[in-house]
Amino acid sequence: MATVAMLGNFDWKQFKRRAFSTPANSAITIIVYAVLLWLVWTAINWALFNAVWSAEDVEQCSKEGACWSVIDARYRLILFGLYPFDEHWRSTLACLAIVGTIVLSCFPWTWTAKRLSVIWVVGFAAYYLLMEGGLLGLTQVTTDQWGGLALTLFLFSSVVLIGMPMGLGLALARRSEMPVLRTFASLVIDLIRSLPLLTTLFTAAVVMPILLPSWLEGDKIWRVIIAFGLFFACYQAEVLRGGFQAIPKGQFEAGKALGLTYWQILGRIVLPQVFRHALPATINNVVVTFKETAIVIIIGFFDILASANAAFGTPEWAPYYLEVLIFVALIYWVFLFGLGQYGEYLKRRMKVAER
Amino acid sequence: MFSKGVMAGLAMAAGLALPTASMAESPTIKTIEERGTMLCSGHNGSYFGFVEVNDKNEWKGLDIDLCRAMTTALLGDPEKAQIVPLSWAQRFPALQSGDVDIIIKATGWTMGRDTELGLQFSIPYFFGGAQFMAHGDLGITEAKDLEGGTICVEAGTTIERIAANYLQSLGVEHTMVSYEKASELRAAYLANRCDSFVAWGPFLAVLRATELDNPDAHVILNDQLSNEPISAAMRQGDEEFVDFTNWMLAALLIAEEEGITSENVQEMAANPPNPKIARLLGTEPGMGERLGIRDTWAREMIAAVGNYGEIYHRNLGDDSPYKLERGLNNLWSHGGVLYAPQLD
Repeated sequence: MATVAMLGNFDWKQFKRRAFSTPANSAITIIVYAVLLWLVWTAINWALFNAVWSAEDVEQCSKEGACWSVIDARYRLILFGLYPFDEHWRSTLACLAIVGTIVLSCFPWTWTAKRLSVIWVVGFAAYYLLMEGGLLGLTQVTTDQWGGLALTLFLFSSVVLIGMPMGLGLALARRSEMPVLRTFASLVIDLIRSLPLLTTLFTAAVVMPILLPSWLEGDKIWRVIIAFGLFFACYQAEVLRGGFQAIPKGQFEAGKALGLTYWQILGRIVLPQVFRHALPATINNVVVTFKETAIVIIIGFFDILASANAAFGTPEWAPYYLEVLIFVALIYWVFLFGLGQYGEYLKRRMKVAER
Repeated sequence: MFSKGVMAGLAMAAGLALPTASMAESPTIKTIEERGTMLCSGHNGSYFGFVEVNDKNEWKGLDIDLCRAMTTALLGDPEKAQIVPLSWAQRFPALQSGDVDIIIKATGWTMGRDTELGLQFSIPYFFGGAQFMAHGDLGITEAKDLEGGTICVEAGTTIERIAANYLQSLGVEHTMVSYEKASELRAAYLANRCDSFVAWGPFLAVLRATELDNPDAHVILNDQLSNEPISAAMRQGDEEFVDFTNWMLAALLIAEEEGITSENVQEMAANPPNPKIARLLGTEPGMGERLGIRDTWAREMIAAVGNYGEIYHRNLGDDSPYKLERGLNNLWSHGGVLYAPQLD
């Protein structure tokens, strides 16, 4: 929205003054724009006008245009990974459940602890029931068959869901007046932040089963989500700490003077401001986490990038890897651009409070 | 003191009792039977020819077919194979922690893996080595025809040294051009900067089938410059499971030797042309008991996935887009190095 608004307010007079001030400048402007236009035209030509669209027409594919046949033939693999073919409707509904949960919790109307928790519990239960099955006549599909976009969305939303409260807890503990708690929180945060994410996940997925007794082992996907969530939480704790530091101590003291309890001060005075201050960095953290989920490819999860790799991993489709990667990039873009725009909206909404 | 007769009797009793008792004791096979599925290694993506995913989201490839063969032999149904996606780095820890029962994942049999990593390997099921690929219009089929030619190779690899040694021993004058990156190497070959290109054989076949505009215009030469045996890897300490894997592979080879295919296996089992086939296919009892499983395991396995030749051709050879010559991977009787232990 902000980007669109910026285009709408484009100052043509200023552009003219700057870009065409001297003949040399005009020439440079024209050349640069001509090249840009040519590039855009070539790209559009390749992607749209010369493209082949259906899987049956794959013979017509050439270097001139994109061969979207590969998407037509393989989109199910990209979106759902190795999930059983006949059960893809379940994976589709599960994706919608997660996206619905995320979208719903973006509306300010839902921002009470009760509503949010109901939405998330229902959303996740729906996702899990649909994907795992084993109930209500749905055949069971174990987590090692989950994949594609459905898995990426699940990983991302579980990590954020687990990591956000943990991050808040860690941030509070780090500011606590109890030395033991404070030291413990600092230790955890500094330890985990000094380990690479890859190592953390590899340990959770591969080394843990060797160390843990089998009754504590659990499913690989949950070990990875908890480790990833902890990683997210440590970064989020530091982001929130910045927010806490921006709030004058006097507010806390004023609250105490009014006879409010610790939790009342926190919930009604401090936290709303903390979140506002920490918002840009939080959105940043969330966006990075969405992209970082692709790391799970290393521990054998079939996330969207791994399934894209498998999609162009047969000889008949291998020449069209670019089309597959562009398709996956578009999916990432839709989600992350949406997230970024939502951040902008939140910022504007919160400015109202500051006025 | 025991008399000699008693000692001999004890030894015989032990000798007779042990093998049959231990055959059924493989902990891995027991786990697989209790679970009702067999867990094999897949890949986190695609490894051409060995592990791929088809348009129906099903796994396929040489390694996958071997897993299906093994599952059929153990559980009677190829559908009971469960492929667990694994990365390269993850495969050995995953085997040790029991995430998979066996690794069949284009994995070379090396001393380090065999000793330090605590693995044991099956007999090799595939041999891959350095080979030359040349432009077809040169009209050559052997490395000695490369006289005076330019050969491209990836810098700093063992293949570079192997190729130089090989050509020197043949007395072929040549110019070696090395490139830092595989992509540069490919581009140089395509731009006709070199007559020939040396790399791992299956890699050349994949490259020819997937990235070159006209696969027929390139020839993979017959010479095998080196040889890396590819085996299935299992956890140390379960000899019976290794025995089973070895005889599963052996049965696929014997089937090819004897002309048993997925098409004719039922006929052959009904009217076995010789006692060896009768025994192999379980028409005569004995095969199963020794391994602690059903007598008809080999028959069911061949009916489900075919013999070794069929598996090879479907995934890498003539019936696949790669058209990789059998070469070393042919039976010993056809000039290759694959052979089965004696079936008695």
